[in-house]
Amino acid sequence: MATDKGRVPLTPAVLHILLALSARERHGYGIMKQVKADSQGKVNMGPGTLYGSLARMMESGLIDESDRKVDPELDDERRVYYRITGLGQKALKAELARYREVVALATGISLSASSYTYGT
Amino acid sequence: MARDLTAARYRKFYARLVRLYPKPFRERYGESLEQTFNDVLREREERAGGLLGSALWMFAETSPEIIRENWTAMITQNRNIARIALVTGLLLMIPLVAMQFSDDVNWGVGDFIVMGGLLFGSGLTYELVARRGGTTAYKAAVGVAVVASLLLMWVNLAVGIIGSENNPANVLYLGVIYIALIGATIVRLRPRGMSRVLFFTALTQALVPVIALLIWRPTFDDPPGMVGVFFLNAGFVTLYLVSALLFRHAGETDPR
Repeated sequence: MATDKGRVPLTPAVLHILLALSARERHGYGIMKQVKADSQGKVNMGPGTLYGSLARMMESGLIDESDRKVDPELDDERRVYYRITGLGQKALKAELARYREVVALATGISLSASSYTYGT
Repeated sequence: MARDLTAARYRKFYARLVRLYPKPFRERYGESLEQTFNDVLREREERAGGLLGSALWMFAETSPEIIRENWTAMITQNRNIARIALVTGLLLMIPLVAMQFSDDVNWGVGDFIVMGGLLFGSGLTYELVARRGGTTAYKAAVGVAVVASLLLMWVNLAVGIIGSENNPANVLYLGVIYIALIGATIVRLRPRGMSRVLFFTALTQALVPVIALLIWRPTFDDPPGMVGVFFLNAGFVTLYLVSALLFRHAGETDPR
C-alpha cells in the first residue's frame, strides 16, 4: 500500500537505500555493502536498521520485492532481492533536487557573507 | 575450529534476539535478518577480523529497532481496538435513537449491555484471530465465521429461530458456537484445521432443527414456521460453509 507518495525529506537510511537500488536490484547484504561503499564507510548500516527501513519503504511503495531469487555468487535461493519502484525513483529525484537547492542556497549565503565581510 | 564455534554461538544469540520482533515482522524479515548477520560475520571471518566487535555492534543496533517495531505494532493494535469500540458505540446509537421516536423499539439496559458485548466481542475476536493469518482469504474466512456467529446469537436472543426465544431447542445453537470455539482452540487457528472445524460447524448447524424435531417435537406454529426455520438455518449453514472454503483456500498457500 503506497502511503508516502514520494514524501521528502527522506531519512538518511532511506536515501542511501534508494541510491543503492537505483542502479540495480540487490539483496539485503548487497544493499548494506553498497551503502557503505557509496558513503566511503561513513554510513555503516546494521541488519536492524536495514530491514526496519526496508519494511517501511515497502509499505510506502518506494521499493518492492523482485522476482529474482538466486545470487549467482552466493548461490542462495532464499535471498530476497529488492528493487526501486517508480514512486521510489520520483522520491529519490525530488530529494536530490532538494539537496541541490540547499547547496545552492548555502553557496549563495556563503558568497554574500564573504562579500559583506571582505567587500566593504 | 574455536572461531567457528564462537560464530555459531553468536548466530544462535542473534536468532534469539530476532524472536523478540513482532510476529508479522519476524515472519517476513526474520530469516533475512539472520542471513545478513551471518553474511557480516562471514565477511569478518574471511578478513580474519575479530567477531566479537561486529556481533556486539549488530546486537546493539538491532535492539532499538525491535523496541520500535513492537511499539508500532502495539499502537496499531490499540488503534484498531479503539475503532471497534467506536463502531460498537455508533451501532448501539441506532436503537437508542429509534427508542425516542418509536414505541416498537424498547431496549432495556441489559439489552444494550448484551448487544454491546456481542458486537465488541465479535470485533475483538476478528481483530485478534485475523491478525494471525495474514492472507486475505484467512481474514475473509474469520470475518464470515464471526459475522455468522454474531447473527446466530443475535437472532436467537432477540426472537429465537425455533419458535420463540424461550424455546429450549434454541439452546442447541449455542452448542454450534461452542463447537466452533473448541475446535478453533484445538487446531490452534491453523487454516487447514479451521477449514475442518468450520465444515463440522456447518454440519452441526444443519442438524440442529432435525435434532430439535426429534427431541422436543416443537410445533413450529410461531413464525417463521417449519419451512422458515429450515430456510433460515440453511442461510447460517451456507455462511459457515463459505468460511470453511475460504479457510481451505488460505491453507493452500499456508499449509500449516
